Amino acid sequence: MVNYNNKGEDEERLVYGHRLSSIGPAKVTGEVIYEPSNIDLAMKLHYLRVVYLFDKEAVEGLNLSLIKLKEALFSWLNFYYETCGRFRRSDDTGRPYIKCNDCGMRFVEAKSSLTLEEWLNLPANSLRLLVPHHVIGPELNFSPPTFLQMTFFECGGLSFGLSWTHVLGDAFSVATFMNSLGPLLKGLQPTSSPNFHKSPSNTYNSAKAVTFDPLSMKKVGPVGDNWAIDPPCEMDSCSFHLTTQQLAQLCESEGDSSLIQPFESISAVIWRAIAKIKVGSEPNVVTVIKPGPKADDTFLRNNQVVSSLKADFSVAKAHVRDLVALICNQPEDETAQIAEQVGQDPGGSDFIIYGANLTFVDLGGAEFYGFELKGSGPELVNCFVDGLGKKGVVLVLPGPKSVKHKDEGRLVTLILPKSYLEELKEELKKEWPLIT
Amino acid sequence: MEPISSSVRLKYVKLGYSYLVNHFLSLISIPLMAAATVEILRLGPVEILAVLRSLHLDMIQVLCSCFLVIFVATVYFVSKPRPIYLVNYSLFKAQPVFRVPFSTFMEHSKLNLRDNPKSVEFQMRILERSGLGEETCLPPAIHYIPPNPTMEAARSEAQMVIFSAIDDLLDKTGIKPKDIDILVVNCSLFSPTPSLSAMVVNKYKMRSNIRSFNLSGMGCSASPISVDLARDLLQVHPNSYALVISTEIITPNYYQGKERAMLLPNCLFRMGCAAILLTNKKKEKKRAKYQLLHVVRTHKGADDKAYRCVFQEEDPEGKIGISLSKDLMAIAGEALKSNITTIGPLVLPASEQLLFLFSFLGRKFFNPKWKPYIPDFKQAFEHFCIHAGGRAVIDELQKNLQLSHEHVEPSRMTLHKFGNTSSSSLWYELAYIEAKGNMKKGDRVWQIAFGSGFKCNSAVWKCNRTIKDQRDGPWTECIDRYPVHIPEVNKL
Repeated sequence: MVNYNNKGEDEERLVYGHRLSSIGPAKVTGEVIYEPSNIDLAMKLHYLRVVYLFDKEAVEGLNLSLIKLKEALFSWLNFYYETCGRFRRSDDTGRPYIKCNDCGMRFVEAKSSLTLEEWLNLPANSLRLLVPHHVIGPELNFSPPTFLQMTFFECGGLSFGLSWTHVLGDAFSVATFMNSLGPLLKGLQPTSSPNFHKSPSNTYNSAKAVTFDPLSMKKVGPVGDNWAIDPPCEMDSCSFHLTTQQLAQLCESEGDSSLIQPFESISAVIWRAIAKIKVGSEPNVVTVIKPGPKADDTFLRNNQVVSSLKADFSVAKAHVRDLVALICNQPEDETAQIAEQVGQDPGGSDFIIYGANLTFVDLGGAEFYGFELKGSGPELVNCFVDGLGKKGVVLVLPGPKSVKHKDEGRLVTLILPKSYLEELKEELKKEWPLIT
Repeated sequence: MEPISSSVRLKYVKLGYSYLVNHFLSLISIPLMAAATVEILRLGPVEILAVLRSLHLDMIQVLCSCFLVIFVATVYFVSKPRPIYLVNYSLFKAQPVFRVPFSTFMEHSKLNLRDNPKSVEFQMRILERSGLGEETCLPPAIHYIPPNPTMEAARSEAQMVIFSAIDDLLDKTGIKPKDIDILVVNCSLFSPTPSLSAMVVNKYKMRSNIRSFNLSGMGCSASPISVDLARDLLQVHPNSYALVISTEIITPNYYQGKERAMLLPNCLFRMGCAAILLTNKKKEKKRAKYQLLHVVRTHKGADDKAYRCVFQEEDPEGKIGISLSKDLMAIAGEALKSNITTIGPLVLPASEQLLFLFSFLGRKFFNPKWKPYIPDFKQAFEHFCIHAGGRAVIDELQKNLQLSHEHVEPSRMTLHKFGNTSSSSLWYELAYIEAKGNMKKGDRVWQIAFGSGFKCNSAVWKCNRTIKDQRDGPWTECIDRYPVHIPEVNKL
């Protein structure tokens, strides 16, 4: 089911001419089953919407006629056939798995009357027009796990919008997935063969015994075969870029100039700002999602470490330094507990993690800018999360690596209840005057 | 043991009988010639000369006899039809980006026919039993949700499939487009103006005095019709090349309504094209692959039921589709019988014809309840190319002609790999036989096609030279995976 948000006339002027088709692996995959692990299934109500914006120099000289483009995409999907399968439920437990039947990824071709410059100047929310907003359901058998939209701009630039079910993997996996498309679009031939044994293992090492319910997870539903929750309140997004210099200043102000910890510093500032606004109901439990140990393989995985943090003191009045210390040292790793909870009833129970509490996600190390076309990567990559709980999410993404910005820094995307987002922006401007 | 040994004995009896009848003349003539030679040797040369002088031959009689012989020989050689050779042929191979796995077809069908779940269910059942594989291809316009069949898209598909096949053929044979004297294009359901043959002449800059023909509306059996036309033209025009293109353009004919009788073609028809180079030039005899022996065309259109059994019309909602009647298989059987009756005397050995005659006379004059004798066509042909119209057609023919699994393997595997490519399917099947390395010099091939009309058309070819493991066709990459087992029902 595709769910286009408030498709008004203005939006139709910005992006138009949508044509849907399907793309899949060029070679027959055969009888292959992909079984998601418990952690994968815990994420099933969440969707990542990732937008890559390219300028025309990156695209010039590449043969992007529809047929050459599709040849590259089909060749790419030989290796990621699980993104083209369809969910089924096992007969005994009702546990979802993916039948890799080459049904395909839904592919959307669109055009935009704006140039890349104009897109870069629009607020972050507008970028949602460049990515499909699909959910899985109401029929599992006929719901694509992934959608890809390519929008061709007036100036010759283009965008890729990937709508991705979190079951398949985390944002780091998305980056790996998209980066592998780059060489194929340039016309290079793959050097390896696909691996048909990619299901993740379901064992999870935990140092502690499983004794408690994880704070970072909330049970919802039951949603049945429609993997979407009703939005608990109206959410809005905004993004701002923090340069390396601003980050350095931030860390200096904490008095700890030896080590720049961008994620922890940014999270601390925003946490405190939110606490200041929400007087009387300040969030003192937050979820922190950080990357897991780097795997050697290029498999798509949910490898993030989900932890919860409880502040025993008033966050609004705390010093940023203390919050940073809390975020660095004290998170309770709940990944094993989450896996255990899901494992108890994999077919029936439905959970949300992002937004169950105010969630901070460290994606600074994700290699989004490694998706290179003609030797240069994207001008901008932004990422949204859907299927959120009402507490909202803060994504700390890598900053754009272009000559214009001269440095990397971080791109911070906030997806929070509309009711206080404006107020929060005002509050954050006190800390970072240059944000828009 | 008894029944087995009796059938083995019967087999040997049949073998002996057929050898006796088919080589009757040689069996008679050998003893006669032996006797004559012995007699001549016994008489000696002097005696022979004496016999000759006694015949009192004088000059005029000798000259007249010579002229008579020369005259008869000239008439014979002049009126003998020119041999028609098939130099080579090429087939369109779709890129994997056009492939339509079952699951994708079903999902798109569900999205396009959102309000008609029964029609979707029907299509699913058809697809499960169709005998198609996961690699059949549809043109780009049909991949969209909903499909986007514009005339431009149809032309674009035509250009893609036809030019690809012709380019490959010109490359393989070394012929220049300006050498082509006759052009016949058959495409049943897409007939723009200018015609597809004009499109080919334009693209390849062919000569202005080319004899071009465009056959449309003639159905899946149009390929033998095109070959027949080319053959007749090559009888009249000496020293010529004829290029025959057989194809079907899917784009404009994808049915977008919900009538079940019209949804069947959507499930089966796929992209394909064959380009065939025929010639009557003697110099091509050396490298030609096949020689055309017979073309037999049977038209049952005089019968109303046969005429209406494959019918393009508007459905109650005004959407155009091809309606297939329930009598299709019965009518196909009748058409086949007619075709066999005509082709039998041309190709069957004398032994089979005699048996058929005895059985026919016996049923007429003695006992009508005798089972009609079905001639054993396996004695006439080494290979069979049965139009891959659908699994039912192949099953029916296999039963009627008593063919083995090996004989119908090219048809079944073509249906699996390429789907029903309409008039070009016969050529994909022929390419399968060659790719398997089974085509030897002297092998005879029977191409048999059914199509709207209702028509049953056959072409008979004889292999001119052993074709070694053909590795430059559409089967090249996958021939080692074939044959595959095709389940009765392929559960989606």
